[in-house]
Amino acid sequence: MSRRPFQLDPRLLVSGRVLSALDWRHGAALLVMFAASLTFASAQSAAAPPATPSALATLATWTPHILRGFVLNLVMSFLAMALATVLGIGLGLMQISPSRLLRLPARFFTLLLRNSPWLVILFAIMYFLPIEIRIPGGKPIEFPDWLKATLAFSLPVAGNVSEILRGAVNSIPTGQWESADGLAFTRAQTLRWIILPQCIRRAIPPWMNWYALLTLSTPMASIFSVHEAVWNAQSSMEAAGARPELLLPFYLFLLCLFFIYIYPIAICTRKLERKYAVAT
Amino acid sequence: MQFACVFKRMLVVAACALGAVSTLAVGAASAEGRLKEILDRGAVRVGVQGALKPWGFPAPDGTLQGIEVDLGKSVADALGVKFEPVIITSANRMQFLQQGKIDVIIGGMYDTAERRKIVGMIEPAYWASGPSLMAKKGVIKNWKDLADKPVCGKQGLYYNKQVETDFKAKVIAFAGNTEAKEALRTGKCIAYLYDDVGIMADLDQPEWAEYEMPVAVLYNNPWASAVPLDELNKGWGVFMAGMAYRWQAGGTLIELERKWGLKQSDWFVEQNKKHHWDTGYLAPQK
Amino acid sequence: MLELISPLFRELYDRTGLNFTVFYERYEYDRFVGGASVSLQLIFWSLLLSLIIGVLGAWSQNSQSRALRICADAYIQVFRNTPPMIQLLFFYFGLGAFTPAFDMGGYSQPIISAFGWAVLSLGIFGGAFNVEIFRSGLEAVPASTLEAAESLCFTRWQTYIYVSLPLAFRISLPALTNNLVSLAKTTSLAYVISVPEMTYVLNQVWSDNVNVPEMMWVLFLFYVGVITLLSYGLHALERRLALPGYGR
Repeated sequence: MSRRPFQLDPRLLVSGRVLSALDWRHGAALLVMFAASLTFASAQSAAAPPATPSALATLATWTPHILRGFVLNLVMSFLAMALATVLGIGLGLMQISPSRLLRLPARFFTLLLRNSPWLVILFAIMYFLPIEIRIPGGKPIEFPDWLKATLAFSLPVAGNVSEILRGAVNSIPTGQWESADGLAFTRAQTLRWIILPQCIRRAIPPWMNWYALLTLSTPMASIFSVHEAVWNAQSSMEAAGARPELLLPFYLFLLCLFFIYIYPIAICTRKLERKYAVAT
Repeated sequence: MQFACVFKRMLVVAACALGAVSTLAVGAASAEGRLKEILDRGAVRVGVQGALKPWGFPAPDGTLQGIEVDLGKSVADALGVKFEPVIITSANRMQFLQQGKIDVIIGGMYDTAERRKIVGMIEPAYWASGPSLMAKKGVIKNWKDLADKPVCGKQGLYYNKQVETDFKAKVIAFAGNTEAKEALRTGKCIAYLYDDVGIMADLDQPEWAEYEMPVAVLYNNPWASAVPLDELNKGWGVFMAGMAYRWQAGGTLIELERKWGLKQSDWFVEQNKKHHWDTGYLAPQK
Repeated sequence: MLELISPLFRELYDRTGLNFTVFYERYEYDRFVGGASVSLQLIFWSLLLSLIIGVLGAWSQNSQSRALRICADAYIQVFRNTPPMIQLLFFYFGLGAFTPAFDMGGYSQPIISAFGWAVLSLGIFGGAFNVEIFRSGLEAVPASTLEAAESLCFTRWQTYIYVSLPLAFRISLPALTNNLVSLAKTTSLAYVISVPEMTYVLNQVWSDNVNVPEMMWVLFLFYVGVITLLSYGLHALERRLALPGYGR
């Protein structure tokens, strides 16, 4: 594509982002850095009395416990993303509906969900949702804390998925709607067979981005004693005698853990973004 | 057309769900004869703390250990059923008990007048503690020294406000004890405000050799185990009261105190004496 | 102010049981006002720091030094791909232990307070996103414009400051607005290191007074208000500075 001199590329204006170099070697180098700082951190504990195990040994003892917690982080992130996608698509479809009655409330909820801090939504859900709901005659449906937290994390993402959908639909040229009209497609048919299939491709990279952000938010559940990685790490520190020199290696380990999981996703997102950016 | 159908169906389902939610009733379980239920089930579900050493805290393999866990096990052993610990928090424990998710709380719960309206507090209490301070040796002489100084504490403890208003201290409350103690150690605050039993457990550790508990507790509040309110005077509540009496009089608690490396508290020795039944009359009369 | 509203809210409590302690009790009111002011300051300073980091980072990503480029890249990847909450804990507890402090007799005043660490940590977190945003703006600046600057004997730095940056800023403003708004929301996380901002303060209030629903509304309305104002302001700026002839 040739650019005229002094001409801005409008594509960049719309997407607002350019792809930065990302590859496996980068990630590996960063992990080595993590490991080095971990060793440095445990060297700081040399002053502790000889009878107590070193910070690194303590971390090794408790690693399985922390990893078990991390599995819950992953489970919460999967469930929350699935829920957010369903809710978000529902809200998004309502947002682009021609009926004012559907459009305006959807617009309002999307804005509300996008404009409130995750932590505040988490507090609200944790305090206001009952532990279980009884349907007369049926078995009670239980809401354990981790499930409530999952619901809380899905809400702000649902708002953003709704916005992604709206943006993607709006980015399809009007001509396509008009030609579908010309072929006597109904509105629903046009959406189902022409517009939405094209949106999926555009929506996948931002959708993955939101998944990464969602996963990075799951540690907030530890505030409510959900037994995920951070809570398990904190309870391990308590069980290991709450020795202050544990804090640095334990938190570094948690950072590593999330980095190892999220970094490949980030690479993948970038690759897809690049692929679709070229295709359009 | 297919899509429109799917969408319409979704709307109908959503409407039904909404309707269902609006007719929900959130009610409490009314367990009849909990003791029999436990025996039939073959397991007793005990609500314990999950991250407070040495009462209830995880072992590296993820199972729970600690004083309250041992007390729970003694209940299970006496009934000859399986022990099932459930980790509770101060926010959900009374709800769990009311809803029948646990049979009994042995989880660091203060026995207060308000709580007695909600759950059945078992007498006698199995422990007691009160707010006290940990500080570097020689820094604090009494509670008044806290005026305008930063004091580290734990979020959600209701004596934080009392210390702020009565002694004009600035309480910085952290999410966990590890964090609060780290803040004390790095000098971010002048003292650490917490239950005396927790502080005493820390002072036994070599890392805290330069620290002391310079003030007396503001008050001592017993920790009671609790059963559902309607069970208090039925089989289950009466059984638990018997267990609680045995813990005191039979020396179980003093043993556990020793096992988990706690210093003997005065309240404790006094309670033990009070509940000890003098069996002197059994000796043959001369 | 308190004198004005306190009778109203006290009566509300007596009549309906809605307990807005922060609006009629002096102690809680002071807490509330303090929390609001800390929250606003936290938002202001973190956004400012993240912008400065964004400008400097974008500059170093385009620099000729390979080491500087790699550092900038590593910084972005580390902070974008780890949870901000653990970053905060790590900064405050991990690094906070190594910073010098003044002895105040029994306790010490660290050079960087919890508030300071929150600003640093959140600024660095948000900055990692801003670097990328600014860089994409810089890359959208046409090469011929830069060549023109070069032919006018501008140095690299002069070109950056007078030509590329102003253009890049206007180009990247929509993306920047989104990121700044989301950073402002993230500041509530400072709660975990006990910065007395709104979330922390109201949490204390509701655990002291057992009025969770009422305080939750206050918290919710506070943030929705602040975030709406902020995004409204930024969008107004966006419209004023929009490059003519592009977009809708």
